[in-house]
Amino acid sequence: MIRLENVTKIYGSETVAVRDASFDIPKSQFVFLVGPSGSGKSTLLRLINRQEQPERGDVWVAGRNINDLPASRVPFLRRSMGNVFQDYKLLLNKTVFENVAFSLEVIGKPRHVIERQVPAVLDLVGLADKQGRFPEQLSGGEQQRVSIARAFVNRPLILLADEPTGNLDPTTSEGIMSLLDRINETGTTVVMATHDHRVVNSMRRRVIQMDHGVIVRDQERGVYE
Amino acid sequence: MFSRISYALRETWASFRRNLTLTAAAILTSAVSLLLVGTTFLIQRAFENLLVQWRGDVEMIVFVRSDASAEQIGLIDSVLRSSPTIIDVNKLLYLNKTESYEEAKRIFVGDPVTLSLLTPESIPTQFKVVPLSDDPQLVRSLSDQYRTLPGVEAVALAEDEFQVISTLSNFIRVVTLVMSLVLLAVAVGLIWNTIRTAMFARRREIEVMKLVGATNWFIRVPFMLEGLLQGLLGGVVSCGGLWALNSAWTNGVAGFKPGTGISSLVVPSSYLTSVMLILLGIGAVVGAVGSAIAATRFLDV
Repeated sequence: MIRLENVTKIYGSETVAVRDASFDIPKSQFVFLVGPSGSGKSTLLRLINRQEQPERGDVWVAGRNINDLPASRVPFLRRSMGNVFQDYKLLLNKTVFENVAFSLEVIGKPRHVIERQVPAVLDLVGLADKQGRFPEQLSGGEQQRVSIARAFVNRPLILLADEPTGNLDPTTSEGIMSLLDRINETGTTVVMATHDHRVVNSMRRRVIQMDHGVIVRDQERGVYE
Repeated sequence: MFSRISYALRETWASFRRNLTLTAAAILTSAVSLLLVGTTFLIQRAFENLLVQWRGDVEMIVFVRSDASAEQIGLIDSVLRSSPTIIDVNKLLYLNKTESYEEAKRIFVGDPVTLSLLTPESIPTQFKVVPLSDDPQLVRSLSDQYRTLPGVEAVALAEDEFQVISTLSNFIRVVTLVMSLVLLAVAVGLIWNTIRTAMFARRREIEVMKLVGATNWFIRVPFMLEGLLQGLLGGVVSCGGLWALNSAWTNGVAGFKPGTGISSLVVPSSYLTSVMLILLGIGAVVGAVGSAIAATRFLDV
């Protein structure tokens, strides 16, 4: 589903964010990208959704080399992946329902599809009774559930999560992880960047560890070291 | 498709209201500059009325009595053609009664009293003369000679009549044109800035839109519509201003004594209408250009 071949990303003229990274993530896999801040985890995610382009190497998503993708096709690539962030990136002037509906609206989905899919996904993330609330009326964990609902409402092939539990307490994090796990079970490939030891150790999934932009470990059913 | 259109319109309107002060500034600037453009058109047209009989380097007009016989007209024609070194005989033009009357209708557009004294039968016909020589003395001495020909009613020289006005009109044209171009550029800049501010205010939304896969055009269109609307509204305001200005001027000029020439300086209402349409068009273009530049440049927020 996602394949990197000898990918190097350099910011400016000398800051090497990712050096010669290669891996292959099959469909429906759950992968943790771990490592300290600044080790290149986020850059890897940004390379996969083409917010960045590598200086060297190729990035393949769903059988396509996305470096060759013309800029006008990038939006359609992004429709096949959902994004979840540490700071949720919710729109504060929109309700829970509107935040999720917005992501369908802007890719031109008709009203009747929106009215069917949004309540369904809000039900999945456990916020069926809070559709009319605004983000600031919700707890951090609930806000993250909204952002996961937004990322998943279009049933993407891939879910990219960048420190989704970074601002949450352990109990709330557990709830978010079991939600991501459920989404993974529907067949969606999940790539999650984190430096949260607990969630990695409790899940026992594939772990790709980064250090100073280099992949130093790639282990099935790994733990955080 | 319908959901996209309604989305674009809703967003345009919301953003329009959010930025009311900047929007008002952009609209007023485009209105003022468009008003100046429109005024330039009207002044130009008004002067043309005055100068219509001197168009095309004509510097001398030989008026022929309306009761002149065909032989007399033929004689005048051959005398004029007998000085091919001084007169450009290829450009020598004879206006018959109908043509002269048509021209008079423009000259006396604001002076119906004088116009009513003229009829297609009583109007003098005319030869329009373009001299080859630059020497005004030579042309003047020729005109004295033509005055004595049978059937000639009068000979008019551009130098005596409208040389000053012609120069003045050229000067005013250049000044107003330059000023309106500068102001139009300012209007583009202000609309550009308004749209940029609107996009900055909504950078989080734009970021989310890009991440969930909205196309650039989908993101851009509401902003471009907003700019287009600003330019168009500026055009509407300027049309109102131009109409008021023109009415005031036309009423004021009507009080002038006939025959002073000032009363020619009005424009027909059909011309005013087409100028207004042009202003709306320019306004829309100004708005679209300003916002298109902004929407293309600042999409990476």
